[in-house]
Amino acid sequence: MTPVALARAPWPDPYLNVDDYDPEADLMVINLGPQHPSTHGVFRVVLYLDGEIIIKAIPHPGYLHRGVEKLCEKLTYAQITPIVDKNDYVAPMLNEQAVNMAFEKMLGVEVPLRARYMRTILAEIQRVASHLLWLGTFAMDLGGALGGGTSVFMYCFRERESILNLFEDLTGCRFHYNTHTVGGQRHDIPAGWAAKVHQTLEAISQRIPEYETMLEHPIFVRRTKGVGVIDADLALELGLTGPLLRASGVDHDLRRDAPYHIYDQLKDLAVAVESEGDCMARYKVRVKELRESIRIARMLIDNVPEGPISGGRPIKQPGQFKAKGGQVYVGIETPRGELGTYLIAGGGKMGDTPYRLKIRPPSLHALACVPYVFPGHSLSDAVAILGSLDPIMGEVDR
Amino acid sequence: MAVNESDRSFDHPLYETLERFPGLDLATTAVDKVLTWGANNSQWIFPMATSCCGIEFMAAAASLVDLDRMGSITRGSPRQSDLMVVAGTITVKMAPRVKRLWDQMPEPKWCIAMGSCAISGDFYRDIYSVIPGIDVAIPVDVYIPGCPPNPEQLMAGMLRLQEKVNLKRAGLWSPPETRPETGKTIEPAIKRLLQAGRDERITAAQLDQAMSLMLPAVDLPPRPEPEPEPTAEADAGTTEAPAAPATPDGGHHE
Amino acid sequence: MSESENNTRELAFRRLLRAQFGVEGEPEAPLPDDGPLVAREHHKALAKALQAAGWRLYVTCAATHFPAVPGKKPTDATTPECFEVATVLRSVGPGTHVARWRVKLAADETIDSLVRVFVGADWQEREQFDLVGVIFAGHPDLRRLMMPEDWVGHPLRRDYAIDTPHAPWR
Repeated sequence: MTPVALARAPWPDPYLNVDDYDPEADLMVINLGPQHPSTHGVFRVVLYLDGEIIIKAIPHPGYLHRGVEKLCEKLTYAQITPIVDKNDYVAPMLNEQAVNMAFEKMLGVEVPLRARYMRTILAEIQRVASHLLWLGTFAMDLGGALGGGTSVFMYCFRERESILNLFEDLTGCRFHYNTHTVGGQRHDIPAGWAAKVHQTLEAISQRIPEYETMLEHPIFVRRTKGVGVIDADLALELGLTGPLLRASGVDHDLRRDAPYHIYDQLKDLAVAVESEGDCMARYKVRVKELRESIRIARMLIDNVPEGPISGGRPIKQPGQFKAKGGQVYVGIETPRGELGTYLIAGGGKMGDTPYRLKIRPPSLHALACVPYVFPGHSLSDAVAILGSLDPIMGEVDR
Repeated sequence: MAVNESDRSFDHPLYETLERFPGLDLATTAVDKVLTWGANNSQWIFPMATSCCGIEFMAAAASLVDLDRMGSITRGSPRQSDLMVVAGTITVKMAPRVKRLWDQMPEPKWCIAMGSCAISGDFYRDIYSVIPGIDVAIPVDVYIPGCPPNPEQLMAGMLRLQEKVNLKRAGLWSPPETRPETGKTIEPAIKRLLQAGRDERITAAQLDQAMSLMLPAVDLPPRPEPEPEPTAEADAGTTEAPAAPATPDGGHHE
Repeated sequence: MSESENNTRELAFRRLLRAQFGVEGEPEAPLPDDGPLVAREHHKALAKALQAAGWRLYVTCAATHFPAVPGKKPTDATTPECFEVATVLRSVGPGTHVARWRVKLAADETIDSLVRVFVGADWQEREQFDLVGVIFAGHPDLRRLMMPEDWVGHPLRRDYAIDTPHAPWR
């Protein structure tokens, strides 16, 4: 493959000079965000329109920059878990797992088998909740607050509440769980939880076909099919991961390709891949993942082995873990793609805090494709595309 | 003039209209009652949902709690709203926007600070980019603590707001809302809006920043120059593209 | 299957680094745990070579600031201020392999931008420029990404106070 120049056909040119554009055209500048119901948070994008068609889009993230990485440099390894919960606030479990796996790799802590089973189950249930929230908000983006989309939103949130109830039984919190620690889990599975998981996930899996019939009508298909196409080359170069990459026809899933937790024991993990790369493909990939996650969680919940849930002693003091120094990178597959943690440990006196913690958010790369994907679409399609990218501004800006 | 300032619960253009007609000013009490009843039971919400609390706000608007029961629906425009729910962390980049949107809301208006970030900045309060609570810029009527508060707590906050509006309407003394504080309170560098000793220049500067927000005039990055082809001398040194090592086909999926 | 593919790639990565990019050691000896150090003039060529060899997914880059450390005794020399930029790439599909390397920079040195190799580097490099203050030479649009345009300083430097006030907001 040849190295790619910046503005390469057939991708739209993100550096289009608006002054050079057709002088006869009646251009308009529209500012979308940072406070806009369909930007999923505080994302701002300046759109240059020729009539209804976008010719250039300039994104401006950073309205939720909370300095998490700076804060983590001041905290010990055991204190960081509740901080990173707030990054990707739709899938906090996965955030906790990502940083804790990096810490465990750095500190050389073994995670017992029961904790690894629990982590896999929690990750899959969290993936269901995250995709449900995405499905609801995406339907609302397309249908409008008073259109048909609101009913799907209501149903999806109903199912999501039942999952939050499961997590509340386990950890005591609806979200921001703080249930992972370095070396294992904080909360053990309560009695009767497995039956509840079965019941909840069974109910959800029975209702997914209902949502599909609600959504896959001609209007939905017209608004998503062929809209926002990202080809495989562009997706790879932009660093898109997760459902966005798989919807562009690249068969890549860290759960199967670089297994962690107990994913290496799941030989039949099905990876959903679509080749079209449009909004419809991204919708299909996520719905398939929804079903697969439900299947995995239900399969594993009956086979959780007995044993300790934490590798180390219970944490009495935060400064218990000391690193000798070094650098590690760990990436895991979240509902939005590869969530990476690049950790540079402080050695010596600073052994109990990270020297630098860089979080690689999948949503940042998802939003970086906006200048390449928006041009050529109408303003209403822009909302559909943005919804299908599933960005979470908390982890984009951190 | 007939209308006593203290009788009013709200600033509302209707009062000025009534004042202009002799005789009609007696109707203000009745009008006030109607306005209070209306305002209490149709708080249209402008969600300033920036982060995690925004998700709980959505959950509250969805089927479990259903804010719609109180006549509260969310609006996308500040000009149609009575109540701003600040749900999430406000950063210095976002704060002028919040201030400006707040100023665009018509009177009477209320503000709920939902979650610890909107109240005090939570554990981000010391960070260079986070403002220590939204009440350094806009007045807050009800604080709902929690990280994030449950939808039920948001509902309780809405009821508390109704109570507050009613108290004010009945002429009863309505205590100023106390900030939920732990014992160890860290005072921010900027005084809060209702705190003693607040500098007026701060308020003016905040308003000035909020009002001077513009679309970027020249925001266009220049088109990059085409990359020069590596010259022969450079090739001889380091940048010779190496022959691809033997790799399996796994990397190519077109 | 995927294990062996991962091993093949790891060996290819080691051979590539040793043969053309001046990393010391036997061609197939293990790399240091912290990631290999690469000279800064090799940075872009290495990324290009890896992209051509199948590491096609841009993952991340992380710049780190190391402030000047005075010597223990007054007579000792001061360790000068420096930066370190780590880059991570990935190969796609079963047996995915992570290639990462580090580049050390003196305080006044710049590093080549990878935007023309991977467009995904665009925002990551803008972010690192914004927060750490490393200049990526050749980046077409090196503006601040996270902080407001008129912000002074680079917050993620070690000597930047975490509670820097910013009137009139905090």
